[in-house]
Amino acid sequence: MTAPAVEIDLTLSAPGFVLRVATRIPNGVTAVMGPSGAGKTSLLEAMAGLRRGVRGRLVLGSQVALDSARGINLAPERRRVGYVPQDAGLFPHLSVLGNVRFGARADAAAVDAAIDTLEIRPLLARSTLALSGGERQRVALARALATQPRLLLLDEPMAALDPGLRDRVLPWLLRVRDEWALPCLYVTHNVGEALAVASHMVVLDNGGLEAEGDPRSLLSAPVVVGEAQAGIENILSARIVAHDATGGTTRVRTDAGLDVSVTLAADRPVGAPVTLAVRAEDVLVCGAPAFPEGISARNVYPSSIVMLERTGPDVTLRGSLGEDRGELLARVTPAAVTALSLAVGKTVWLAIKSHSIRLG
Amino acid sequence: MGLEEIRIVAFTVEMALLATALVLVPGVAAAFFLARYRGPGKGALDTVLSLPLVLPPTVVGFLLLELLGRNRPLGAWLAQHGIEIVFTWKAVVLATAVMSFPLLVRSARTAFEEVDPRLVGLARTLGAGPFAAFFRVALPLAWRGVLAGAVLAFSRALGEFGATIMIAGNIPGRTQTLALAIFHDVQVGRDDRAVGLAAVTVGLAFAALWTTEWIAVRRRLRRDET
Repeated sequence: MTAPAVEIDLTLSAPGFVLRVATRIPNGVTAVMGPSGAGKTSLLEAMAGLRRGVRGRLVLGSQVALDSARGINLAPERRRVGYVPQDAGLFPHLSVLGNVRFGARADAAAVDAAIDTLEIRPLLARSTLALSGGERQRVALARALATQPRLLLLDEPMAALDPGLRDRVLPWLLRVRDEWALPCLYVTHNVGEALAVASHMVVLDNGGLEAEGDPRSLLSAPVVVGEAQAGIENILSARIVAHDATGGTTRVRTDAGLDVSVTLAADRPVGAPVTLAVRAEDVLVCGAPAFPEGISARNVYPSSIVMLERTGPDVTLRGSLGEDRGELLARVTPAAVTALSLAVGKTVWLAIKSHSIRLG
Repeated sequence: MGLEEIRIVAFTVEMALLATALVLVPGVAAAFFLARYRGPGKGALDTVLSLPLVLPPTVVGFLLLELLGRNRPLGAWLAQHGIEIVFTWKAVVLATAVMSFPLLVRSARTAFEEVDPRLVGLARTLGAGPFAAFFRVALPLAWRGVLAGAVLAFSRALGEFGATIMIAGNIPGRTQTLALAIFHDVQVGRDDRAVGLAAVTVGLAFAALWTTEWIAVRRRLRRDET
């Protein structure tokens, strides 16, 4: 963990509701999880300076944004916190370009960089009313980045909608994470997204911080288990390597160096970045010691079990693919755990059918 | 219609425009404040600002006269500094402005209440101060309501009678607006001229109302698009 980029010690009170959060956020993406009403949005608003009655201390890098004890409370416009609310909050009276430029009229370079990162150049002349949900989020993200913030706050883009993979914000967030070095809080309900993007996670519940740490270590936290009922996905960023039209497959390689065969996607040029999503329950676990011959799944990987956690009625298995090729999450029944005598440290085969992989 | 009648119409329109200009800034400020403010005293302020809507106009005029008459402290002070208001065109502007103010505030306030306060907050996080956030987000999103309110205020100012006659009198060539002239004509039996002036008044009122309606329809259409 790098030096803390953001120091939070905040108490928010509203009638019938108190939230106290004290933690340090490292650079990179921190996933924020918690049940509805846990105060996730309130926390982001408090950090952006948009809520009254917030007490405590908030330090962004070297800038003290709030220190009630010393009477410091910076106005939102002086905090330099980029905030992307759930509905994107685009200004309806401005074009896409007008929105992106809103906060950074003088700094054309930052505007350009934000436009390029989010690849919204083709949208610039459009009205904000003519955008899809994912496009709106990208524009809002670019608008926030163009102000060169010290901290980025993203509130659960399109929480319950389960949009198509192509319309998700996650791949763009990965780019922002890799191209713009800045701390980011990302509120999400999707455990797979949190695992894919975040290096740190905080879990809010019962008016406070329930747990925090490496996202993979928090899979068995009750709140995370609750969210995982909705489905855990493996989300991998990858690039197209080759197309095999006769075989009906396209070969991609993940950023971690894992070769994966997916159903033919000839419309994607070789080298193009893609996001792969595989539901944990679509990952087959084979306990036999030898390579499982004669199965139709195209993607079979040896893997050693590094975690086996009860998540609700199921068991979530985390398998390391070795040589830094990443990890895969699989969901199995407790009965399968017994039948295959699965245990941490045991080597198994993880298999994924090409058809179970969705491309974004 | 002769030159004198044209003068009366021009004078009336001029007074109404001045009154609208006078109430525009304080009216929009009051409307925004009432739309956003949630603290104590809001109800009282709301009532005071709406008072001219429900009081008889003559009472409003009488109160203004009590305030600005030469033998009253404020009026005396103004007179000392060479500012004459009562029974001058300034009194016409003031009386019509006071009567128009609540109409502008009501319309603009509704428009500001329809602006998502989170958008204004977002503008702040993007580096805009409170004033910039108002002028770059709140006002552009509410401008139709503000404009409709200004047209309403203008229409009210065009036809104001009671408060005006109390504080400005009915002096031909000095303070006589359309409404006052019609009253005067009927009093002295010049019904023919009254009919002409009334027709002009009706025409002006129609034009103003059509403008308001047109703005309102456009506003509704715009809202439906979103």
